[in-house]
Amino acid sequence: MTFSFLRTRKWKYQKPSRIEQDKTVRRRIKYESELDIGFREKIAKMAWGERLDSCMQCGTCSATCPVSHYMDYTPRRIIDMVRQGFKEEVLNSFTLWVCASCYSCTVECPRGIKITDVMYALKREAIKQGFHPKRFLIPMLASKFYKQVLRHGRQNEGRLILSLYLSANPLLLLRNSKLAFRLWRRGRMKLFEKGIRNKASIRKLLSSIERREEEPVQ
Amino acid sequence: MTSTKQNGEVRIGYFVCHCGHNIGATIDVLKVADVIKNLPGVVISREYKYMCSDPGQEMIQEDIKEHNLNRIVVAACSPLLHENTFRRATEKAGINQYYFHMVNIRENASWVHVDKAEATRKAIDLSRAAIQRVFFHQALEKKQVSINPNVLVVGGGISGIHAALTLAKAGKKVYLVERDPTIGGLMAKFDKTFPTLDCAACILTPKMTEVKNHPNIELMTYSEVEKVSGFVGQYKATIKRKPRYIKEDVCVGCLDCIDACIYKDGKYYDEFNVGLSKRKPVYIPFPQATPQLVVFDPEACVRLKRGKCKETCVEKCDRDAIDFDQKEKFEEIEIGSVIVATGFQIFDAKKIPYYGYGKYQNVYNALEIERLVNSSGPTGGQVVMRNGEVPKKIGIIHCVGSRDEKTNIWCSRVCCTYSVKLAHLLKELSGADVYNFYIDMRTPGKGQEEFYNQVMREGVHFIRGRVAEVTDWAAEKEEQGKLIIRVEDTLIGVVRRIPVDMVVLGVGVEPHSDADKIRRLFNISCSTEGFYLEKHPKLAPFDTASDGVYIAGGCQGPKDITDAVAQAGAAAAEALALIDKGFIEMEPNTAFISEDNCSGCKSCIPLCPYTAISFDEEVFKAKINEVLCKGCGTCVAACPSAAIDQNLFTNDQIYNEIDGLLKYEIV
Repeated sequence: MTFSFLRTRKWKYQKPSRIEQDKTVRRRIKYESELDIGFREKIAKMAWGERLDSCMQCGTCSATCPVSHYMDYTPRRIIDMVRQGFKEEVLNSFTLWVCASCYSCTVECPRGIKITDVMYALKREAIKQGFHPKRFLIPMLASKFYKQVLRHGRQNEGRLILSLYLSANPLLLLRNSKLAFRLWRRGRMKLFEKGIRNKASIRKLLSSIERREEEPVQ
Repeated sequence: MTSTKQNGEVRIGYFVCHCGHNIGATIDVLKVADVIKNLPGVVISREYKYMCSDPGQEMIQEDIKEHNLNRIVVAACSPLLHENTFRRATEKAGINQYYFHMVNIRENASWVHVDKAEATRKAIDLSRAAIQRVFFHQALEKKQVSINPNVLVVGGGISGIHAALTLAKAGKKVYLVERDPTIGGLMAKFDKTFPTLDCAACILTPKMTEVKNHPNIELMTYSEVEKVSGFVGQYKATIKRKPRYIKEDVCVGCLDCIDACIYKDGKYYDEFNVGLSKRKPVYIPFPQATPQLVVFDPEACVRLKRGKCKETCVEKCDRDAIDFDQKEKFEEIEIGSVIVATGFQIFDAKKIPYYGYGKYQNVYNALEIERLVNSSGPTGGQVVMRNGEVPKKIGIIHCVGSRDEKTNIWCSRVCCTYSVKLAHLLKELSGADVYNFYIDMRTPGKGQEEFYNQVMREGVHFIRGRVAEVTDWAAEKEEQGKLIIRVEDTLIGVVRRIPVDMVVLGVGVEPHSDADKIRRLFNISCSTEGFYLEKHPKLAPFDTASDGVYIAGGCQGPKDITDAVAQAGAAAAEALALIDKGFIEMEPNTAFISEDNCSGCKSCIPLCPYTAISFDEEVFKAKINEVLCKGCGTCVAACPSAAIDQNLFTNDQIYNEIDGLLKYEIV
């Protein structure tokens, strides 16, 4: 999997995803039995998304999104797919991981839907259910960041990037080693750093948030 | 319970209604009837599925005759809905209708409670209160008051014009008050009207002339309603006549003064052309303005501002019609009913910064385009942008300010079709490629879908998606120097950037910013969005909660010309029905003074909101005019010597009602 889209300077329309480039003929019809009916409710509860139902599919979210160029499904389609229970398509979608959390869509939505929060809920759900693409950097970064904070009470860029590249793609490590060296020489990056003193309390804090996530909100 | 004021033996008939499931599902109606049966004075207690139906009413009438009843209590829905129905039924059976009393156990009990036992108990308590109250009811008569046949029409747009003409044709005197120097309203600014593409001026100006020439219509332009007092049939209104600085009866509209003005070119914002052209300090809104009178703008005219000018206009005017000493005048008129047709205003597109209205000069709102494509407009019907070029590609954005929680939540109803119309006109006049960006295409109404289909076939592009922004930031070479519309084509599912030369904002409609002021003058309520509230959304969309005040056109909600005219006609017919009856029946719930107790302290006189109380100096007592009294009860409560009582709300009635309500029993 790739970061290649971030290297594309030109803002040109690109073919969205590998699935759509696939030339094999597939069955595209969706049977009701293949849908997850409870999915809408689950996401709506996680994301304070009781307004999800009032979406009128105007497309403001997609048009205002600065990174919708790289999404396989636009945010508007994600919202409707969540409503209709297309769980697999949504959680497998690239869109969730491309979202930069800039909140433009949430600000401009004429129906007041908190689209960014819905995206976060979907990301959590995708990680929890192991749906995200293998060795894809963004979800890996998120989970490694969290684990490190849980263990040491603070995160260390050097170690975070090191462990991320090691498990994702060691070649990337080689490519960026020059930059890392320069940063290290100026004292901008440390590989070893002490954790905070009271690690137990931050663990307690995080686990209590974790527990609240499990419970349905409201 | 005192029984001194009871007149004869009281025989009460009690009837409780199921109202289908409305009451029957929450209240044990059989039990209510059973409990009430045992109360003193109750001769008969019955329940029925639909009391208001014909069989229900007949049952009441038969029981009155059979059991010789002289008081009727019906426990059912709101008195607003069916009090008159049952009063008529009572009257038919031969007893005075004010011996009837209604208990509301639907809105006040069954609809607002869940617990069946408690709701039943509440229904019993309310019924018991009514049973104790009717002991003291008296026979009363309705009073008749004559009606002034004159009608005031507020607003000289198409609705006001149509209502005024309908009434005038029926021989009624009409005062048509318009705030602007000319009548015609928004419609006068349009070029063509959808869906038939009728020329707006060709169908409107004859009506405007007819208004001016009709002997029954007194046209008051450049005027505002300042104050309204009185009640249905007898309103008094004060009209403020703003000074035009022209003698209206002398000026013939030759417009020589405009040519003679010391300003050689227009310099001031032209309201009629929504700023697309400039006018002089002395101007006429448009050539067909009715009445054909010029206006001096006191904020622009040098003579009026500084008191000193060459006064070339006065020299030129050979009829001596210019009068710089004119002052604001106030006229008082007497009318019997009012039709409010003040219309709507368009949404200010500056409130949505990301569409760039006011920032990019080639972003227009729809009203500006109406003027631009108008053959009598500032460019004579040429589609030329502010930079002098003819656009090659035009984008029309729908739903600007509508269907958005941050601005106006409602659908403005006319924008889709007028945007389609503008697309057609712009394409026809400039040959440009036209793109329409819509959320949902709403073209209801006769002929509108066919019109939409026709414009689609003309090659106008329709893209489903709400535009996120209009920007001049070019991402590609082809986009440079253009306005770029960023939108998701939702039917295809990709985000597109479409460079255009001209952007038209299909702005929605909203209530006038000063709609609230006018609303309070006439005591009209409004809905959450600020449009005037009709009496009933389906059965009385032209009537208001104030008697004798009707609404028509855009002030009641967004609507097109067709609907506005239909509503104006309905409002006029309703006013005629009121006038032609010749009188109105007044409820006898008026206050009266027992002269023995009145000490002449005069404390009630300033309190009366209807100025119904006067003071008789000879006997030194206050007097209530029954015609003016609306039965609000203020004076009754305020009288320190308890000398004022009110029909239908006498002390005996109210105290016994309270007593019945509080007789708590565990049933």
